[in-house]
Amino acid sequence: MTVADVLLITIGAVVLGSALLVVTTRHLVRAGLWLIVTLIGVAAAYLVLTAEMVAWVQILLYLGAVVVLLLFAVMLTRAPIGVSDDLNRPRWPGALVGLGAAGALGALLVNAYRWEKVELPEAGTAERIGEQVFQSWVLPFELVGLLLLAALIGAIVLSQPGDDSVSGRKK
Amino acid sequence: MPAWLDLVVRVLIVIIVIFVAPLVIGQTEHKVMAHMQGRLGPMYAGAYHGWAQLVADAAKFIQKEDITPRAADRPVFKIAPVISMLPYMIVVLVIPLGPGGLVAQKLDIGLFFVLAVFGLGVIAVLMASWASANKFALMGGLRAAAQLLGYELPFVLAAASVAMAAGTLSLSGIVEAWRPWWLIWQLPALVVFFLAGLAEIRRTPFDMPIADSELVAGYLVEYTGLRYAFFMLAEYAGIFVISALTTVLFLGGWKGPFGLDTELGWLWTLIKIACVSFVVLWVRIAYPRLREDQLQRLCWLGLVPAALAQLVLTAGVKLAL
Amino acid sequence: MKGIGLAKGLAVTFKTMTRRSTTQQYPDVDPELPPRSRGVIAHIEENCTVCLLCARECPDWAITIESHKEEVIVPGAARARQRNVLDEFNIDFALCMYCGICVEVCPFGALHWSPEFEYAEYDLRDLVHSRDRLREWVMTVPPPPAHDRNGAGAKEEVVAEKALAAAAASAPSQVDACPNDGSGRI
Repeated sequence: MTVADVLLITIGAVVLGSALLVVTTRHLVRAGLWLIVTLIGVAAAYLVLTAEMVAWVQILLYLGAVVVLLLFAVMLTRAPIGVSDDLNRPRWPGALVGLGAAGALGALLVNAYRWEKVELPEAGTAERIGEQVFQSWVLPFELVGLLLLAALIGAIVLSQPGDDSVSGRKK
Repeated sequence: MPAWLDLVVRVLIVIIVIFVAPLVIGQTEHKVMAHMQGRLGPMYAGAYHGWAQLVADAAKFIQKEDITPRAADRPVFKIAPVISMLPYMIVVLVIPLGPGGLVAQKLDIGLFFVLAVFGLGVIAVLMASWASANKFALMGGLRAAAQLLGYELPFVLAAASVAMAAGTLSLSGIVEAWRPWWLIWQLPALVVFFLAGLAEIRRTPFDMPIADSELVAGYLVEYTGLRYAFFMLAEYAGIFVISALTTVLFLGGWKGPFGLDTELGWLWTLIKIACVSFVVLWVRIAYPRLREDQLQRLCWLGLVPAALAQLVLTAGVKLAL
Repeated sequence: MKGIGLAKGLAVTFKTMTRRSTTQQYPDVDPELPPRSRGVIAHIEENCTVCLLCARECPDWAITIESHKEEVIVPGAARARQRNVLDEFNIDFALCMYCGICVEVCPFGALHWSPEFEYAEYDLRDLVHSRDRLREWVMTVPPPPAHDRNGAGAKEEVVAEKALAAAAASAPSQVDACPNDGSGRI
């Protein structure tokens, strides 16, 4: 076992544990805080796998924006301190979907690589990612850009006040 | 030098800097603010013009009772002040002080790293505000979240402009590529970055999350003693980090007007950081706090368009060259 | 122009920083009090006739006086004269509101303002100043300042000087002139 292996297993355990806490804790806001731990763990895993750029993107977007927005919304609506008993968490369907997704992804990965050894590539610099995105993956990149633009315009249209036909809001 | 010793030395230096720099800035603020208001400021602690005032303050904070409200979420409440320091400590790790190896840690994508970690500051605020179980704290946290989400955008865009101009994401690379005429070319980005940075560290005139006249002290309401001191330390460490980033990105870091950059580079960096920090203090003393809606207006109608326009300008000049 | 106020704000604060600060470093450096500062009230017993005007005029009832009558036999007079003798004279500075009416109303110049103000106490009751304490304050009463720098001196001083000169001309040995208390006497 190399250092990277040990690190990956440790990080994986942390991620798995905190992810379980996200769905089992009865403190609503603490679930969000555990999600932060999970995402930091995933970023750390990226770092160990030498995907530096992806790791920092993960931190910048998921932690800096998504989780903050999530916590913001929770606080804006309820912000309960302590245990909330009225959490609507269908246990069995949730477990089924979660385990199913994990099983499917796991099977896919195992099937793809078997026991093949993959050497860690060189650190993923911004330059390499830029080359990849703008040479091999230009078309998907542009498509994603178009999708995001559509979503942006859609959000603006939906939030326009006074247009009953779109937002369904009354004047 | 073995790798582990190197690492230990660097971490030690960073810890010293992150604890000393805020004290120096805080003491300067005491004095500068006093004299700008026609006062003298602290005069007793440490015998000579109260130089040890903040040391005395620290001694006082240590002695104070550490209160945790009964309704608070104890572990989250207690860990939030420590978390508030972390992002700034990590950012200091990569700020280049001088040319060559005078960097705490060289990173190829230093700028990206800095922006990513800097955005984490809001999490500590959210934790503190929610765990306090106090309505003022909660409102402070909400304001902080709205403010930091909004200002993250012009902050990143302004930094992106200078990265585009330099053609690299490395902080030392940006300083290497910097030329004096960038002061004019990147001026809008500098202003946007500085203002958004002030808002990111919740500094007057953007301190609505604390707003003592409206929210008592926002997310700091329930904190006492050492934990409160940690938040204060984080605020002043934030000033240091923002000044250092502005220096490195827009003011040419270790480049001085008389050459000797290799020998005196670190001094130039420190002088520039000191000047920018002074401006941060100055702005606090000269201007009152913005209103919450003015804050969001300034961000979305002022800074974001300015930053976007700067991006277009940068791209245009870059293509023309 | 819009935004000029922002620059002005910075300019004002910077200019203030370059000027000397106006802070008085009080416990280290004594403050420069304006003339006729009202610090504490001094009582000159020799001038007091126990007329009780001050005690009656005091809006706060801060002054309490006790006295008794004595007969003075004047040789050659038909009857013995009566004279008031002061036993107690207390001013409660916890009640006093520093209006100065007692000083104004005293017909014999027995009460004077002193600029001393450092007589804070830990106990409220200690703020009652008795005869001895009030006498000690007399030494701190400054000579009255001139109304006008180039004009004549204060009335009290002029009268005292004249009296001094007149006394020196007639009988130098009997003079007992004090610029503070010699004036109000008739």
